[in-house]
Amino acid sequence: MLNHHMQLSWHYFKQEYNQPHQRLLRWVQATLMIFIVTLTLASNTIQHYLQNNLQNLLGADAVLTQKDKLTPQQLTSLKSLSKRIVNTLQINATLTFNGKWQSSKLKAVGDDYPLQGELLTSTSLQSPATVTRGGPVAGNIWLDSRLFASLMLSMGDVIKLGEESFIVARVLIHEPDRLMEGHNVAMRAIVNKLDMGKLAFPADLIQYRYLVSAAKSQVLQLIDWQKEQLPAAKIHHKSGSHPLALFWQRTENFLGLTSIILFFMAAIAIEQIAQVHLKKEQYFSAICMSLGASNVTGVQLSLFKWLINIMVLMPIVAILSSVFHWLVVSWLSATFSEIIWQLDVWLTAKTIATSVLLFAVFHSPVWLTLCQTSVSKLFHQNQKSISLALVKICALVVLVLVAVNYSDNGLLTLMLVGSILITITLIAGISWAVLTLGEKTTQQFSGLVPFTLFMMKQRLLSKSTQILGIGLSTFLLLFTLMFLKDLGDTMGAYQRTHDGNLMVAQASQSEMKAIEQWAKESDVDLRQAKPYLYAKVVKINNQTLNEFAKKPSDSLATLSHAIRLHWTQALPKTNSLVQGKWWIKDTKNWQQISLEEEVMTDLSLTLGDKLTFIIHQQSYTFTITASHVYKPGAGSIIFWVQMPEAAIAHINAPHYNMASLELNDDQWPLLGQLWQQHPTIRMVSLQELTKQFDAILAMITKVISGFAVMIILLAIIVILSSINALEDKEKKKNSVIMSFGFLKATCWQLNIIEWLITALIIATGAIAGTYLTGMLIYQSQFSLSYQPDFLILFITLTIILSTVTLLGIYASRHSLKSSVKQLMADT
Amino acid sequence: MSCSIELKSVSQSFRNNASEKNASTITLFENLDLSIKQGQSYAITGPSGAGKSSLLMLLAGLEVPTSGQGRFINDNHTSTLDNLRAEIGFIFQQFHLLPELTALHNVALPLKLRGDKQAIKKAEYWLEKVGLSDRAKHKPSQLSGGEQQRVAIARALVFSPKFIFADEPTGNLDQHNANEISDILFASCQENNAGLIIVTHNSLLASKAQHIYSLANGELTKALSTNSVNDQQAELKQVASC
Ligand SMILES: Nc1ncnc2c1ncn2[C@@H]1O[C@H](COP(=O)(O)OP(=O)(O)OP(=O)(O)O)[C@@H](O)[C@H]1O
Ligand SMILES: [Mg+2]
Repeated sequence: MLNHHMQLSWHYFKQEYNQPHQRLLRWVQATLMIFIVTLTLASNTIQHYLQNNLQNLLGADAVLTQKDKLTPQQLTSLKSLSKRIVNTLQINATLTFNGKWQSSKLKAVGDDYPLQGELLTSTSLQSPATVTRGGPVAGNIWLDSRLFASLMLSMGDVIKLGEESFIVARVLIHEPDRLMEGHNVAMRAIVNKLDMGKLAFPADLIQYRYLVSAAKSQVLQLIDWQKEQLPAAKIHHKSGSHPLALFWQRTENFLGLTSIILFFMAAIAIEQIAQVHLKKEQYFSAICMSLGASNVTGVQLSLFKWLINIMVLMPIVAILSSVFHWLVVSWLSATFSEIIWQLDVWLTAKTIATSVLLFAVFHSPVWLTLCQTSVSKLFHQNQKSISLALVKICALVVLVLVAVNYSDNGLLTLMLVGSILITITLIAGISWAVLTLGEKTTQQFSGLVPFTLFMMKQRLLSKSTQILGIGLSTFLLLFTLMFLKDLGDTMGAYQRTHDGNLMVAQASQSEMKAIEQWAKESDVDLRQAKPYLYAKVVKINNQTLNEFAKKPSDSLATLSHAIRLHWTQALPKTNSLVQGKWWIKDTKNWQQISLEEEVMTDLSLTLGDKLTFIIHQQSYTFTITASHVYKPGAGSIIFWVQMPEAAIAHINAPHYNMASLELNDDQWPLLGQLWQQHPTIRMVSLQELTKQFDAILAMITKVISGFAVMIILLAIIVILSSINALEDKEKKKNSVIMSFGFLKATCWQLNIIEWLITALIIATGAIAGTYLTGMLIYQSQFSLSYQPDFLILFITLTIILSTVTLLGIYASRHSLKSSVKQLMADT
Repeated sequence: MSCSIELKSVSQSFRNNASEKNASTITLFENLDLSIKQGQSYAITGPSGAGKSSLLMLLAGLEVPTSGQGRFINDNHTSTLDNLRAEIGFIFQQFHLLPELTALHNVALPLKLRGDKQAIKKAEYWLEKVGLSDRAKHKPSQLSGGEQQRVAIARALVFSPKFIFADEPTGNLDQHNANEISDILFASCQENNAGLIIVTHNSLLASKAQHIYSLANGELTKALSTNSVNDQQAELKQVASC
């Protein structure tokens, strides 16, 4: 029996293969599956890559990193927990040569380096790499090939760093503990540990790293020991997570959120297509039942047919997504070197299966209705049961829940989902208002426009589903494009409003003095300077950071490193207060802080919560008493965390400064002199900043453009399927109108007017929705005041209007091929 | 002022393109003459497949005959059947009301399209005429077949067409309802001075027409109607007055 049904389904599947509703369904499902499978494969590849990376490039069984040297007791404890320890020192320094400069990571190692793995160097840029034991001898420096190029060095040149001179002796090719340098692409150099002492860098800028070889059990003990004794230190080990893992997880979350949007649209399209399926299958099922079959037959046939329809897609999906996966991997290889493409049949199958399951949920109303079908239902068509609406609402709720759960930025997700809901309400409201008011006011007038309004009003329910579907797609598309455009504009604007073209990110007190001196001598304009000290959050309300905040977020990622803690008497001009009360001048109560609003939201912190910081190996606890946000117009140096100036008297820690300077063209060469004497000043020119921005923007543009293509594709499918859903009704309406003695031209005119009105409602709704969303998200997420450009809005309106109208009319051409004769023949 | 539709030696045939090899032609009728006058009622009967519906389409000018021609004579002014379009209404076996409109709005539809400001008033008048004023606010799905067909009749007549074409208007109704509907249809057409052309298998319905034709084997023959004596006299009078 089952076999027989399968054959029958295959037969009907072939028969229906070229019908629009089946074709549309295949398109939605294939498009979405290819996207999801590609995404899953790509992220899996990256995760594998990171894991592999961790195993091979840690250069130790565990690595302990902190800002200070271990005390002799701590070192003894560490030794008791390990087999062997190698210590290295790192500092960010700017190397200068012949008037050129380049910031780089300078590492100091001893003869015992490396601990595990191979250090590869060569004697010239052309010669092959050789395995090397131990670092350079004192007075020598090894540089990576990019530094050679950037400073135009050759072997044997002498580099001056502060008061010391170094001979360029070898090309640095590979360090086995490279992973610890993480994802940063900074250029690298190595010197001997003995020289580090002579260089007399500010002690607190040096990072101390202990490479440890230890058994697994020892590593576990080590982790406990670190938690207990060195809470501000960081530990990485082979069975732990990659330093990039958190970053990647957040990227994945973002991609997940975007795919939710695509699922939203697919759900709309499938809902529309399901209406046609339902009508056809219900009719068919009722006929089967009138011939004595049970309604199980109808459901079975429908299910099989749907399965076959999706099954034929699978080979195409598998092949295409593998191809796309390969393309993505080659694109990523610029960022993740040595990443390789691999076929993963099992994961592909699993992902396809999950998507199929989701599609089944979207399609389930059809089967549910078929189960309830009886012969008598044939005679009472147009009966919509409540359970169907319930299924649809459930599907919507599932989507929303998944979306909320997926994202790390709860506020942003809520806003996105919220603005989708607002847009839905808005479009529904606008269509109701336009049609009702339009119909009321034009009642007095004769003509085709009032008639069209009247007809649309009468079909409000079916029409508004169509309008909602297309409107939501348009909104999502518009929002994506607007976001892309504004991101570019913002970056441009940021560069313009930036005060000063040279930013000092970190200068110690003595370095700041040198900068001030240098600025005065060279007649350079020092715009702003603000002090801060480094502090690392270790506990929130007496819980460790990871215990307190379970979800990864931007803020959590930042707080897991040392942050810059600024002190001030009054609220800075660059901030405005959003919550709580700012401290009074010279307050006695110095253990209070103000936190940036987004950090508060991301970590769900409230006023009164207590944060414990480790500052220069001492622990301090502060209470949150206020929350601030960025206020544009008064400069760009801002801090996430601020405390009263009075606190400085109680905290013993080195002070640093952020500053901005404005240099004119002939002053730039003078910078080399400052840098040679103070290699550890961290400065970045606006030009470099612009380059970084451009690189980021180019990447974002690629990603968003790809995403926009997906949305456009789905939006077209939504339009086509919504028209397909109403085609029978339209056809009949046109025939009936012609039977009143009207010509086909009248039907065309009516159709054009109807689509113009539809497009007008959609465009208004989508633009208003985008505007509202823009205001909401821009204000809170980017601290931007959203200023819509009315010319662009007008152009957008025109484009949407003409595109939707043309597409609508084009897709309705079938329903315009009607005639009175068809009405007669229709039995 | 009387109008008429005239078919002069029309033939209708279809090429059967089902199979390329034996492309045969189906000829429904050849050299057929028929004249329809406004204000009169006509019935066309005949076996299934004889070409009754096809003939109706020719009369309505919705299709062009293979040979011969149809003419529309309006006040001694002769023109092609294309000019007939605005002057005719249809009634279908399947009613074909628009499901999302109420009975009242269905009836008002043709007038609204023409921009008639009195649309609703006239529709109410016609609904009352077919005896459905109490169901004005109901949707087609809430009406019985007979009631739906009454709405369809009101809709076809509301814009005062000169001719009404009805293909099996009672085909979906029981005898009792069919009888009632046909009475309404004939009376309304008479009152409106509209020509009524009915295609039917129902002999009772056909017998109510002033002129009864039978189409079979490509031949259109005029049958004698039960009240043909009166009608013939009436017809003679009319011919004389022309
Ligand atoms: N467009 C067409 N192409 C080919 N054949 C056609 C076409 N229109 C009608 N026919 C054929 O012409 C014949 C007559 O059709 P028509 O619908 O006029 O019959 P009828 O007398 O109305 O029959 P019934 O009483 O069953 O409605 C049929 O055999 C039909 O298949
Ligand atoms: Mg027929």
